Amino acid sequence: MLVALSVVLAPLLWQLSTALKGPGESTVGFPGDLIPSDPTFANFVAAFTTVPLGRYLLNSAAIAVLGVTINLVLATLTGYALARIPFRGRGLYVSVLLATAALPFEVILVSTLLVTRGLGLKDTLIGVVLPQAVSIVSIFVMRQAFIGIPNEIEEAAVMDGAGPARTFWSIMLPSVHGSVAVVAVLGFIDSWDLFLWPLVILSDPANYPVNVGVQFLSGAFSADQRVISAATLIVMAPPLLVFFLLQRQVFSGLAEGALKG
Amino acid sequence: MTAVSESSVRRHRWWVPLLFIGPVLLVQLAFLFTPLLNTFVLAFTDASTIGGGTFTGLANFEEMFSSASFWEAVGHTGLYVLLATPFIVGISIGLAILINTRMRGAGIVRPILFSPLVLPMAVVALMFQYVLASDGLANQLLQGLHLVAAPVPFLTNTHLALISCVIVTIWKGCGLYTMILLAALQNVSRELNEAAELDGASWLRRTFSVTIPQISGTISLVTVLTAISALRAFTEPYVLTAGGPGTSSTTIVVHLFSKGIAPGTEAGYASAISLVLFVFVLAVSSASWLLTRKGRA
Repeated sequence: MLVALSVVLAPLLWQLSTALKGPGESTVGFPGDLIPSDPTFANFVAAFTTVPLGRYLLNSAAIAVLGVTINLVLATLTGYALARIPFRGRGLYVSVLLATAALPFEVILVSTLLVTRGLGLKDTLIGVVLPQAVSIVSIFVMRQAFIGIPNEIEEAAVMDGAGPARTFWSIMLPSVHGSVAVVAVLGFIDSWDLFLWPLVILSDPANYPVNVGVQFLSGAFSADQRVISAATLIVMAPPLLVFFLLQRQVFSGLAEGALKG
Repeated sequence: MTAVSESSVRRHRWWVPLLFIGPVLLVQLAFLFTPLLNTFVLAFTDASTIGGGTFTGLANFEEMFSSASFWEAVGHTGLYVLLATPFIVGISIGLAILINTRMRGAGIVRPILFSPLVLPMAVVALMFQYVLASDGLANQLLQGLHLVAAPVPFLTNTHLALISCVIVTIWKGCGLYTMILLAALQNVSRELNEAAELDGASWLRRTFSVTIPQISGTISLVTVLTAISALRAFTEPYVLTAGGPGTSSTTIVVHLFSKGIAPGTEAGYASAISLVLFVFVLAVSSASWLLTRKGRA
């Protein structure tokens, strides 16, 4: 257990140590130099000036907000229909969803690029978000949550004269806020991890999310390991923060998604 | 599962369900069904990524199957799956069992151990570019402990580059699969274990004969998930080694990326490669489906 712990922690701590080191201090030399003799935040500042890291972070944040929102809307609507609205072909659609969950995005990468460009969405925020917005796991997490609501609650709403939209919005949705949080947290982590698709669909560097943009630091002529370490820590901070604060949501979402989905 | 939901209170008008699943259907039509169909069509044309394309029959497949770089990429991906899967599954089972035996400090250890799963792979790979560099952390440790005399060329040696990518996959991947296995372990019957303990079975014996058989379903699920994600490996080789040195760590998806993404490259040929990837993924999932079915019968 200790071995596993140190294997996980060592690279991260080494990054932190390197990021805090001044230009005069060596990044090599074992084992003594782990603690910087003269800690500095200059590298974190340099990360923002060497490449437009602030811009990249804003792009990533916009992609995350839009992606999480669309994913939530689509997953709750579909999950609700699959759980509580009987319709012809529902069983078939569930099978289609399960089958498409097994289809890796890379298989349709080239064609999706052509379609997205054909729709005039190349180099746009929507073009980054929409093709990966439907998460089968999210749909099934929401479906499971809606199935769990007792029928009496829905019956009471109908007795009071609520229509389908009203029932969904004011009665059913508030009952599943826990699962909504799970889907939102997982959606954020997925969105922050996007790399291949933005790399493919974006050509203007001003639109790059951090994952793509930060790669330029290592390609830069004057690649400075200390600055790169600082930048990677900045990019890793938001999902780590979310994870440590909302662990319960992450655990239940991932475990449930994998075991039931 | 359906029995609960079928007892819905009222009959809805025909457009009500459409209202709810319509948005997803639209998005899927545009970005899933159309591209999927298009992939099958393009694979038999000479289309470029700019457009055009005429039907060329099996020409793309003939070109692909006689291309050395295609087979090399397939070989690398195969090796990737064969290396990553057993390590990730083995380590994850071990960690899940260790975490599941209650111990002090689990509350702190657990989140740290799982934290790599939320980190973006592109940035993790960038970090490992330095960790595995000739003067990076890994070599500093190995040399400091006098395990090696000269720095190990993790990223610059044609034989080691792919293995280095796999190491990164393992580092990042174990968290997720440990978490899934841990969830399964928490459903394992405690009585059986206690009964075995009363019968004098050792901890090791109980683990292998009582605990692991009860989570075998989840273990095969995790194995499939790991194998499929290894088939899809892109970010690790792309960031860490750019598929190199030379093409020594070029996987199928990296190969696909280099053939069919840039303007003017061959979308038709790349679609043919995509279909091969699809076949591999289907093969893995159906093999596991057959195995579990056989196990149940």
